[in-house]
Amino acid sequence: MPGEGARRAPVRIDVEELGKSYGSFAALDNVSLTVRPGELLALLGPSGSGKTTLLRAIAGLTATEEGTIRFDGEDATTLSLRERRVGFVFQQYALFRHMTVFDNVAFGLRVRPQGERPRAGEIARRVRRLLELVQLPGLEKRFPSQLSGGQRQRVALARALAIEPNVLLLDEPFGALDAKVRKELRRWLRELHTETGLTTIFVTHDQEEALELADRVVIMREGKVEQIGTPADIYDEPATPYVCEFLGGVARFETKAKDGEADILGSTFPIESDGDYSGPALAYVRAHEIEIVSRELAEGVPAVIRAVRPFGPTVTVELSIEGRAERIEAEVPRELHSGGELGLGQGVFIRAVSARIFPVN
Amino acid sequence: MAIDPLAIDTARIPAGNTPPRARFRTPLSEVPWVKFGLTAIAVAFLALMLVLPLAAVFAEAFRRGVEPFLAALVEPDALSAVRLTLFVAAISVPANLLFGLVASWAIAKFQFKGKSFLITLIDLPFSVSPVISGLVYILLFGSYGFLGPWLIANGYQIVFAVPGIVLATIFVTFPFVARQLIPLMEQQGTTEEEAALSLGAGGLRTFWSVTLPNVKWALLYGVLLCNARAMGEFGAVSVVSGHIRGKTNTMPLHVEILYNEYNFVAAFAVATLLALLALVTLVLKSALEWRYGGELAAHGRH
Repeated sequence: MPGEGARRAPVRIDVEELGKSYGSFAALDNVSLTVRPGELLALLGPSGSGKTTLLRAIAGLTATEEGTIRFDGEDATTLSLRERRVGFVFQQYALFRHMTVFDNVAFGLRVRPQGERPRAGEIARRVRRLLELVQLPGLEKRFPSQLSGGQRQRVALARALAIEPNVLLLDEPFGALDAKVRKELRRWLRELHTETGLTTIFVTHDQEEALELADRVVIMREGKVEQIGTPADIYDEPATPYVCEFLGGVARFETKAKDGEADILGSTFPIESDGDYSGPALAYVRAHEIEIVSRELAEGVPAVIRAVRPFGPTVTVELSIEGRAERIEAEVPRELHSGGELGLGQGVFIRAVSARIFPVN
Repeated sequence: MAIDPLAIDTARIPAGNTPPRARFRTPLSEVPWVKFGLTAIAVAFLALMLVLPLAAVFAEAFRRGVEPFLAALVEPDALSAVRLTLFVAAISVPANLLFGLVASWAIAKFQFKGKSFLITLIDLPFSVSPVISGLVYILLFGSYGFLGPWLIANGYQIVFAVPGIVLATIFVTFPFVARQLIPLMEQQGTTEEEAALSLGAGGLRTFWSVTLPNVKWALLYGVLLCNARAMGEFGAVSVVSGHIRGKTNTMPLHVEILYNEYNFVAAFAVATLLALLALVTLVLKSALEWRYGGELAAHGRH
């Protein structure tokens, strides 16, 4: 907490070969990762990918069967919830419904053992400062049911921060909020993270949220880590077909590679593997990587315009090509649209500017 | 003129001259006579089956005036019955409060095998005839029973004594508190407890400051119902009591004895006390429902 004596150095978390299963279902399968001190890390994946289980395991809310969790190098696996001193923000906030905002935030201070417990005046002072930090001063006497979703979220954060946690863990922090509040809170959480400097992990299934907010993103799938990297790494160099599809906004092509290269929409690209792979391959092309070529050039692949969505900074065009049931989306500059070159049913030529191609094993 | 709403070309209707709308009823509403008819039947039935008998109790009790009424209440055997009833309730209600809380805690907050069996078991006293509930204790603790001979030889009289009455009452009133708490606790889940633990609270502290306050009104509601039944229970208590005047007679049993002796005024005088208990319970119950309806809403009501 800022200003609360000397700020402790942020904690580094090491997860080593963590395993957890429910019956025959492996919720976590040999997961290893390092969370750098002071980092804002996102755990991203669909439901059932193990991201929440991993977060709860780090918090000490869920027991694991294999592996080790270290806080600053020290084995925390067998430490209790209390000893780990983790600030946890629950998905539905789990505010104490019969307590006021003040009592909710003060709870973590009041339950401390006698010697460590601050006096009542000191508790009141700290609670008020925390409520200022989360921008909710003056709401001390309200009950959770009298607050909006965004306000509850902030109270939950203030309550978690009150115990001066080693790390801050958030389970789907924006899941229950509407789109506008979500955007605001996202920016605010980023600022709060800068202010507190705490090592922070949050779970989300929203790739945009993860890529926008986090320093690094961990993409999970079926209890395993699929890729770890900065948002730029993940966006520019998705490691696997799964990551490509999960990030979305791509057209998927089944194709054949020959000598480490494959043809996609009239262009040839190297494939993402060593050597001269030949055989079946999967190609992913993002909408903005597809170009509509003027008809005179007659390059690329013939296509027919099926729909035009002329909003946003670019215009999205739905195209159909021969031999493919699904339509292909292309994002093209607005000028093409205003130039009147994008009539429905019109024939054009399209070409891929770049693509990621993975061998199918 | 019949108007087909689909056929109207809205553009041609001048502003301020909207066509008359066909009377529209929401799909779940009924025509007035159906509503009033159903309500009248319900009210008449309640009056005949509930209010009339209740009024009769009071009318019979005061038939010879106030003095015989009061005399019947302060008579030593009646006082002893009142004392015994209060004593039994004072043991069985707290006992069931505790058992009910423990059982619903276990069922709602933990996953274990045989959970649904335990829930069924809790409901058992509701599905078994109270007479059987009483007989069970005779079979266990009676002089020809399973444990009875040994207990009697060692100077413990269970059946035909106060301990038997207490046991039978506890058995019969066991489900009330648990049935009230289980749905609410299941609905509330365990995340608030998890939050309290993650904030550093110990198990006991979490229970006192998070779990218990969240169910306190439902708990009170259950206790209220449990108490009403504990004081009013007849069947099971009748089997194990032995009807010894001044010793093992509870109020309901006392009413029966007086009635069988054709002492109607006294019988109904004691009955008014039980009726009053019912009315007080009803008022408190309604007050709780009115004030804390939201918190009780998760319940299967009785």
